[in-house]
Formats: sequence, C-alpha cells, structure tokens
Amino acid sequence: MTIPSFTGYQTALSGLEAAQAAIDTTGENISNANTAGYTRQVVNTAESSSLQIPQLSVQGASADLGTGVDITSISRIRNQFLDTQYRAQNSQTSAANTNSSALQQAQTALSDSPTSGVASEMDGFYSDWSALASDPTSSSAQQQVVSDGQTLVSTLNSTYQQIQTVQSQAATQLSQLTGANGQVSQDVSQIATLNGQIITATQAGQSPNDLLDQRDNLLDSLSGLAQISVTADSNNDGGVVVALANAPTTPLVSGSTSNWPQTVSASTGGQLGALAGLADTSSAGTLSPYLASLQQVATNLTTGVNAQQPSSPFFSGTLGGTGTAGTSTGPLQVTATASTIQTSSSSTSGPDLAQAIGNLTGGTADQSYAGFVAQVGGGVQAAESTQTTAAAVLTAVSNQRQSVSGVSLDEEMTNLINFQQSYEASARVMNAIDTTLNDLITTVGSAGT
Amino acid sequence: MIGRITPAMTTAQVLANINTLQDQMDTTEQQLSTGLTINQPSDNPYGASLALQLNSSLSSLSNYSNSVADGTAWSTAATSSLTSIQSMVQRVQELVTGAANGTQSAADLQDTGAEVTQLTAAIKQEANTQYNGQYVFSGSATTTAPYSAATGDAYQGNTSAVTREVGPGSTVPVNVDLSSLLGSGSSGPGGSDGKLLDTLNTISADLSSGSATAVADLSNNQLSNLTGSLNTLEGLQATAGTTQDRLTLASTRITGLQNTDTAALSNDEDANIASTYTTYSNEQAAFTAALKAGASIVQSSLMDFLSS
Repeated sequence: MTIPSFTGYQTALSGLEAAQAAIDTTGENISNANTAGYTRQVVNTAESSSLQIPQLSVQGASADLGTGVDITSISRIRNQFLDTQYRAQNSQTSAANTNSSALQQAQTALSDSPTSGVASEMDGFYSDWSALASDPTSSSAQQQVVSDGQTLVSTLNSTYQQIQTVQSQAATQLSQLTGANGQVSQDVSQIATLNGQIITATQAGQSPNDLLDQRDNLLDSLSGLAQISVTADSNNDGGVVVALANAPTTPLVSGSTSNWPQTVSASTGGQLGALAGLADTSSAGTLSPYLASLQQVATNLTTGVNAQQPSSPFFSGTLGGTGTAGTSTGPLQVTATASTIQTSSSSTSGPDLAQAIGNLTGGTADQSYAGFVAQVGGGVQAAESTQTTAAAVLTAVSNQRQSVSGVSLDEEMTNLINFQQSYEASARVMNAIDTTLNDLITTVGSAGT
Repeated sequence: MIGRITPAMTTAQVLANINTLQDQMDTTEQQLSTGLTINQPSDNPYGASLALQLNSSLSSLSNYSNSVADGTAWSTAATSSLTSIQSMVQRVQELVTGAANGTQSAADLQDTGAEVTQLTAAIKQEANTQYNGQYVFSGSATTTAPYSAATGDAYQGNTSAVTREVGPGSTVPVNVDLSSLLGSGSSGPGGSDGKLLDTLNTISADLSSGSATAVADLSNNQLSNLTGSLNTLEGLQATAGTTQDRLTLASTRITGLQNTDTAALSNDEDANIASTYTTYSNEQAAFTAALKAGASIVQSSLMDFLSS
C-alpha cells in the first residue's frame, strides 16, 4: 500500500484552519475585552483520526498516519461554582447597599448640632421655663415658652416624617422594581427567552456562547435584586431553572416560560428584600424601631411637662398621631397659650411648676433622645460596616471569576503570535507538499524527453 | 490564589484603592474643617449620645448660672435699697435726737416734722424698688407694690420667700422680709404695730404737736424704737449679705462644673488638629503614591514591547 498523494494537503489545510480559528477567537476575545459579562473563549482541538496504512513497510507491518487537527468546539472558560458564589454575595451586597443608603438618609433627619436639632431645642425649651421661673409674670417669657414649645414640636414632627419618608420612598421604589414593566419583570422574561433559545440551539448540537454570556449577565443582574437559585434543568439541554431562594417550588424561569409577579418579603433577599424591610411599617420593619424610639422621646417630653401643668396640659396628642387634632391620638401639638401657662401650684408657693419643668433638662426626654441618636448612629454604622465587608467579599469573588473568565490582553497577544506562527508553518508545509508533487510530476513526466 | 491577572482586574483594583483613599481623605478633611471627630451619629454612636447628654448638662448649668446672675442682681437691688433706708433712718435719728433735747422752737419742730414726713415717704419709695419689673420687697407677690398711695401704710405683699434655684434641689432665698422692719403703720389688723412706719408716723405727729409731752415721748420712747429698727435693719442687711455669699459660692461651683463638662465634651467630640493633620498628610502621600503606581501599571502591556 502507498500513502495517498493528496493527504498532505488535507493535513496542512486542517492546520491552517485550526490556526485561523484560533486567531479569529483571539480577535473575538480582544474585541470583547471590555464587554460586560463576556467570557473568554478558547478553540478546543483534537488530533484527527489517523489513516491506517496496511503493509507500509517491506516487512508488511501497517502504520497510522496522522491526518491533521480537528476543531472540536469553541468553548467558554467559566466556573459555575464561582457564579453561584458571586450571585449569593451580590444579593447580600446589594441588600447592604440599599439598607445603608436608606439609613444614612434617615440619619440626616437628625442633623444635630449644638445650635439646632431636637436636643438643643429641647434644652432651649427647658431653659425658657427656667427663665420664666425667675420672672413668672413676664408676658415675653411666657410667650417664649409657647413659641419654643411649638418649634420643638415641629422639629420632632419633621424628624418623624423624614424617617417615614424614607419608608414610603422604599415602598415606591419596590413597586417600581416589581411592577409590570419593572426591572424584575424584564430580566425574568429576557432570561426565559434566552433560556428557550439556548435549549433549542443545544439540542441542535450548537454551542451558543453569546446567548450563554447574555443569560449569565442577566442572572447576575437578577441576583442583585433578589437571592436566587439557579440549577441546570433535568434534560441536560443547557437550560436552567431560576427560582427565588425563599420560594424554590415556584420557579421564576423554567424552560422558556417565566412566572412573575411573586410574593416579595424581607426574606426575598437582595435589593427587593431590603426595600420590603425598609417599607414595612409594622413593628418588624427595618425603620420601625427608630420611629418607636422617637415616639418614646415625645412621650417622655409631654408626660414630664404636662405633669407640671395640672389644670391645662401644655402638649396634646402623640408623635405621628393621625387622629383628631387635640385628642390623645391626634398629632403632637402645643395646646397651651401664653395665658394658660401655670407657673405656680399655689398663690404662695412661688414659681415651683416652672422651676420643676426647667429642672427637666437632662431628664428622661433628653436621655431617651440621646439613646435614640445612639440607636440611629449604631444602626447606620452597622449597615455601613456590613456594606463595606459585603462589597469587599464581592470584589474578591468577582476577581476570582475574572481571573478565570476575564480576557488578559497580554495572554491574547502571546497566543496571537503563537497562532500566527502556526498558520505560517502550516502554509509552509502546504508549500512543501506542493513543491514535492510538482517536482514529481515535472521530473517524472519529463523522463526520457 | 489568583492565577491569572487580567487588565480589568488591575483597573478595578486601582480604582477601588484610589476610591478608598479618597474616602479616607474626605473623612479626615471633614474632621479638619469642622474641628469635630463626630460629624454624624454613625461616626461614633456612643460619643454622639454622650455629646448630647453633656450639652444638656451644660444647658442645665447655664440655666442655674442665669438663675444665680438674676438672684445676685435682685439681691444687689435689695441691698442698695436697704442701705438707703439705713441712711434715712439714721437722719431721722439725728433729727429726733436734736428735737428731743427740748431746745428747739415750735416752728423748728414743725420743720423737722415735715422733713421726717418726707423721709417716711422716701423710705416707702425705697421699699417699692423694682428689679426687672418686679417688686423686690413684696415677698412672692412681685407684681404688687408693697406700699401704695391708695392703701397708705398697709403692707400689700406677703411674707413668702422668693427663691432662685442654683443647683439640683438647691435653692437660695433672694428676698428679705422688709415688712418685718416697716410694718403696716397703724393700719395693721391690731392697730399700731410699733414698727418703723408706725414709729415714724408717731415721730411726725409728736414733732408737729410740739407739746412737752410729745417731746418727752420722742426722747423716752421713739429714740429707742429707732435704735430697735436700725438693729432689725442690720439683721436684714446681714441676711442679704449671706444671700450674696451663697450665690457667689454657687456661681463658682457652677463655673467649675461647666469647665469639667466642656472639657469632657471637647475630649468626646473635638478633633485633635495636630494628629488629624498628620493623618491627613499621610493619607495624601498614600493617595499620590497610589495615583502614580496606578498610572504606570495600567499604561504598560506586552504590546509596548512587541515589534510590529
């Protein structure tokens, strides 16, 4: 047996093709070096099946002649475990970001300085009573007590309302995200569409790298919104089943079908979970303890002052009250006027009542306000440190993932040189075979001439 | 361990480091420009709460301090009135001593009597001294004049103490009971009460009558009554002096406490400018280094060294 004359052409051609595919893939990697969610690709090659040539030698033994290289696939370099880690951490980081910025916003409502804010106004109010005790009949001192009382009430009310505003903003943001055209709905339906396309392509034996990248990118984005679980479907056809981690039995995406809306609560995790917690006005809500503490400050203030105003209370209502004004469930307000203020408990006792209110400085209301400030400050500090830690872990996981999947230009350049030389070498092989055959034909053909 | 390093990772890391440094510089800069280490409660929740409590405490001390200042001014007004009254009573004493020796003519006695009447009116005027719109000798009825033309010699105030709070649960009475000296003349419930106004009225009556019995009454009874009144007056002055001493002591104590609280507050929330500035300089140096290193690491790649 002899070797077929043109086998060498095929072998050299397969080398050229493999090198070209590798150069093209390198080009793709370099082009997408900065594309978000892009996964670097490699050309997987294998030896072509060899050509068995029987009785090649005089001894009659057969030999296997290599026929070049086959491109088996072009695949993405990606680690699914890192994806899972990244998505879990992304949910936590995004929840921490949401909480931290909402709490910072709530903290700005306090704006305490030695000259403004609830604490200094409360002290100013008590000082007015102390001044009134020195001059109980002065109408300007009486008026000062009433107007500083009103200022204090309005600052308390606006502090309370600013925290409530943070609650209602969270509710608005939540409904925008989860609404009919919200980000969740769009992400989920796009993931379902891509999932369907991927399943179809995979069944047809293709490897739809671009679709896989897009789907992974959307899953990353969805993981910031909520804690999700992503599992391969049972048919091993490239499809995934996506579900909220706290509701695994009702998937968001299965095959090409999507299922949204679903119930969102604080346990949903991610940005949605954090927003649901912030928007919750029940006692379980993230901001509710702060509102309750501020109400306690107001209660301590009004109880302390009203106790020293036996015939007509100075304050009425509760902080945040929505009932009829003037009743105990109504909004907090000053009901006293300069003429209803009492400074003495009897005609001969001197200004004992005014003095007693003046002495409330540093009392339960002041202490509970200081406690409230420490509570808010502590809450913000904890949220900020959670955020810093979560962001650091996310960066670490993201770096690990980048280390596996990211494009390194230095590496691509090195590969490019390598592949370019392979191509040149294969071309040279082709040239050598061509020359050989040419020699054969010309020389043999011209024998005897 | 990270095996491969990609430019995207390097860029992200450089940016993250620059961000972190800038954030630190921002915080330090804020501390330098406000002079405070606590700019929002989350900077130091416990410290912020402590600062509020110290501010409350300072505010309360400032209330006591105002109260002491007010009490001192009140007491000073009272003391100066008492001094005027004292000199007027001494003048009456001189006049009565002159009249009692029986050498003056009836007309002279009449003139002396007129002067005593005027001095009596002036003493009542002094008793109506006001501080900041309040009568200082009316007891706790500070809006009522102790003596008015309409009610004659009858004392209109009460005998309750007017107090100023100079510390928690610590009060100082700042008024003196001038009615114990002046009395209500002859319009009191038991008629003549033998106090200063009563004595002065009797002296005026004695002088205007000019009779031998009247002159004898001056030397026998009224001179000793005046001496008694002067003794009472000295007692009142001593009381007012004690009040001033107590207020001065209270003021010293309050200033001491204010200093302690202010020092604690400063210790709690004030930035140590020297060390903060040193930190800031260090951060600036680190920031410059990070920028320099970042710029060179991001710029270079294999491409720089490949020949075309």
